[in-house]
Amino acid sequence: MTALIVRRLIQMPVILLVIYTLTLVLAWKIPGSPLDKGEGRRPPAEVQEAMLRQYNLESFWGFYWSYLDSATGVKYVRESLSGEAAAVEKAAIQAGRTAPVRRVFDLGPSLTDAAWRVDEILLGSLPVSMALGSASILIALAIGLTAGIIGAVKPNSAADFFTLLLSLVGISLPSFVIGTVLLMIFAVWLGIVPAGVYSPKTALLGAFTLSLPYAAYVARLTRLGMIEVLGADYIRTARAKGVSESRVILRHALKNAALPVVSYIGPATAMAMTGSFVIERVFNINGMGQHFVSGVINKDLFLIIGVVMVFSTMLITLNLIVDVLYRWIDPRIE
Amino acid sequence: MFKLLVPVAVLVAVLLAAVLIDRPLPRADFVYIERSEVTTLDLHKASWMHDLRMATNIYEGLVRYDNFTADYRKKPATAESWTVSEDGLRWTFTIRAGAKWSDGQAVKASDFVYSYRRGMLPDMAGDYISMFQLIRGGKAFYDWRAKAQSEFAAASKGRARPAEAEALWKQTLAKFDELVGLKATDDRTLVMELERPTPYLLEVLAYEVMGPVYPPLVDRFQSIDPVTGMVKYDSGWTKPGVLIGNGPFVLEDWRYKREMRLRKNEHYWDAKNIHFNTISMPSVPDGNAAVLAFQTGAADWLTDVNVAFRGDLVARREAYLKKHKDLVEKLKAQGLDRVEIDRRLPRDEALFLQPMDSFGTYFINFNCLARLPDGRVNPLSDARVRRALVMAMDRSNITKNVRRAGEEPASTLIPPRSIGGYESPKGLPCAPDPQAIAQARQLLVEAGFPQGQGLPTLVFLFNKEGGHDLIAQAIKQDWEQNLGVSVSLEQVEIKVFREKLKNGDYMISRGSWFGDYGDPLTFLDLNRTNDGNNDRKYSSPRFDALLDEANSKRDPNERMRILSEAERVLMEEDLPLAPVFHYKLLYLFDPWKVSGITPHPRQKQYPFQMNIMGDELGPDVPMRMRPALKTGAGGTP
Repeated sequence: MTALIVRRLIQMPVILLVIYTLTLVLAWKIPGSPLDKGEGRRPPAEVQEAMLRQYNLESFWGFYWSYLDSATGVKYVRESLSGEAAAVEKAAIQAGRTAPVRRVFDLGPSLTDAAWRVDEILLGSLPVSMALGSASILIALAIGLTAGIIGAVKPNSAADFFTLLLSLVGISLPSFVIGTVLLMIFAVWLGIVPAGVYSPKTALLGAFTLSLPYAAYVARLTRLGMIEVLGADYIRTARAKGVSESRVILRHALKNAALPVVSYIGPATAMAMTGSFVIERVFNINGMGQHFVSGVINKDLFLIIGVVMVFSTMLITLNLIVDVLYRWIDPRIE
Repeated sequence: MFKLLVPVAVLVAVLLAAVLIDRPLPRADFVYIERSEVTTLDLHKASWMHDLRMATNIYEGLVRYDNFTADYRKKPATAESWTVSEDGLRWTFTIRAGAKWSDGQAVKASDFVYSYRRGMLPDMAGDYISMFQLIRGGKAFYDWRAKAQSEFAAASKGRARPAEAEALWKQTLAKFDELVGLKATDDRTLVMELERPTPYLLEVLAYEVMGPVYPPLVDRFQSIDPVTGMVKYDSGWTKPGVLIGNGPFVLEDWRYKREMRLRKNEHYWDAKNIHFNTISMPSVPDGNAAVLAFQTGAADWLTDVNVAFRGDLVARREAYLKKHKDLVEKLKAQGLDRVEIDRRLPRDEALFLQPMDSFGTYFINFNCLARLPDGRVNPLSDARVRRALVMAMDRSNITKNVRRAGEEPASTLIPPRSIGGYESPKGLPCAPDPQAIAQARQLLVEAGFPQGQGLPTLVFLFNKEGGHDLIAQAIKQDWEQNLGVSVSLEQVEIKVFREKLKNGDYMISRGSWFGDYGDPLTFLDLNRTNDGNNDRKYSSPRFDALLDEANSKRDPNERMRILSEAERVLMEEDLPLAPVFHYKLLYLFDPWKVSGITPHPRQKQYPFQMNIMGDELGPDVPMRMRPALKTGAGGTP
């Protein structure tokens, strides 16, 4: 187990470097200038050049290294060790000003929203994405397990067909359709949920929408696993010993039937936490996914890289956690 | 079983933590929704209309627009009075005795010197640098600094030179005092010398970017790059709890793409006339969601109705006005403003939609370069071809059947009646009659393209989204039917579009412009030779000379006359662009409830002066447009 963790942690920076390089190559290829505002005025040519210089955007490799330098903290350490930071601080104080703000990991500014640094944007929206993802997986588990058990206990019954139908809908209908319909019902017709502006209630509706495809998959996994397990000898033994049916299903059968669900839930959680930008847009929830989309549209290089790196780190970490958990829950797995 | 519950428990914990950290705030006294998020509160980096509008709440410049006067006057703000020298070159402003920053310190004349100096720096790379360069020496200072800084960067060769960088900055400050005609002679007196007489100076000074930033605060976030010598500012100073301004409101909370919230500034000199304790601007990027938010009462004012059914909303409003035609005419005769007329009609939701004139024009760019980038001769470099194309366009069809937003078809670049004392030229007719089409055909014959023969396929470039495709199709049809030319449409991403325009790599494209300040130059300058926004690459010595001549005139009426002649040259003879319509912005608000939103034709809206009638925080009488004074042109009071 320790070996696994150590090996993965050593691999991680290498994988991240490859992802960083690929992302930057692709983002750099997006046509147009990252500093252009889309609509509206264009500053004089010399001002545009000054802006490019300011952000090291004049050449690909210049940007590549300078970003790597400041984002990884190498620059901070180097400046601290070489005494450069101290010299700058001294010069500023001598000139009657306060020492400049220094950051260990400097992810740069957003080029579209000048007021924000990328780390602020990510820190503000990461909890939202994580909460949205967790909530949707919880809902998916609740719905999926229930539906799966019902389906397995009474296979080919009306209830089974009903859950099958629901999971088909959950998997096949895109979330923006379901989301819009839910908003229509709850916000416009019933008026229970506020429309347009953010509220916890709309977020819950969003989490529900996001959960449906996962719920459908969990339901199918549970049903299959349960049907298999319910035919096993130890279940027959338990029944013969007079254990109550609910105890048989929930204690004895579910424990083994749920293992495939556990292995599915890990990557699913990572996906739910990182891939919710459609839901974010429909329900106006300010998670991280939308920043990736707007970053690409605006060619906001710092933001694109920031979001991709955080998503990648999350995926790698969550996969590691799942592997560890899986081994812990089921010691048979090596 | 216990082990299986662990992952579930972890998920629950994450969820609970997130919900506890992130609690929504109660509804503010006034809530308005803009089309998009505020991108910055740093005056010298701001550019978008909604950024600037938000800035009016937090900062206050020397003067403000008196936006409820029919002649768009300016009124004292942080300056309580001012005088102008005989030659119009030297302006002396007296800072208001009670003007204070939100930390209680007095606003000083030197704060304006600091702010304008910052705005002039090439290091800031601000969009509105030309406004600061009206001040004597502004351009010279810019050039000196840009050169000194790039020489410093080159000499550094990548090494850090902190002491030298500080010395360069010190030298820059000294150079500013030497070159630039802007001085604080005492705490309350600001003397400003100009490059040339500028009758519209107050218009510019009332513009939002000309407000002051708080020097002790901004200094704390300034750093000097030891390698390049460039001055940098950490955006941390514009954050809630840190930002100090001198406007009616202070920033209380700002969550990225979620909400911005303001609280009344108790130190503001005119705080007794502010009718809200809190203002909120939630971020609602989706147009339909924004309309829903208004309809369910979550917002009081929507500044841009951006939904597919906007045409229906406009039609509903027009039908209602038609029903009450007699009363509307009677109220018009009393000289009431547009919003006030609505307010006196029987209350109806149809009138919540408020189409407002705006200081913007939608037009078609013609590439005027002699040769296209691929080396072909450009037929559009011939003014006769351009004029023929404009004469064959049915612009009223576009406003009536394509846009459906109650907009006026345009025959001029500058929206008529938007600038006090300025008379717009007539321009070419907006709807072609058979005679105009015959003339247009004749022009093509003269240019050597009878029936469009010999003319290459005209490529019409536009960007996705925004409905440009529909307008382009209508124009294509007009040209093909009326002139027999062939037109192809090319749709690209906005970034590609901008890049092509910048490089002159197109034949015909859609374009638009919103003016900044109430002077014709804010539009006409676009067509100056080599102007950074001259996408048409139009270059006319005659036009440039007219602008220069106008700039040399002291008499505002004479100046306006020359500028009007310059616009006539553009719109009746040379046609580097074809105006299509003047934008209207569609607002949503309840005029019986909200007061302080003005029908000012340049959209100078100040959220801080608005008022919800009947909420006990302010008077229950609405603000109304006041009549024009009978003096001078040029918008000076």
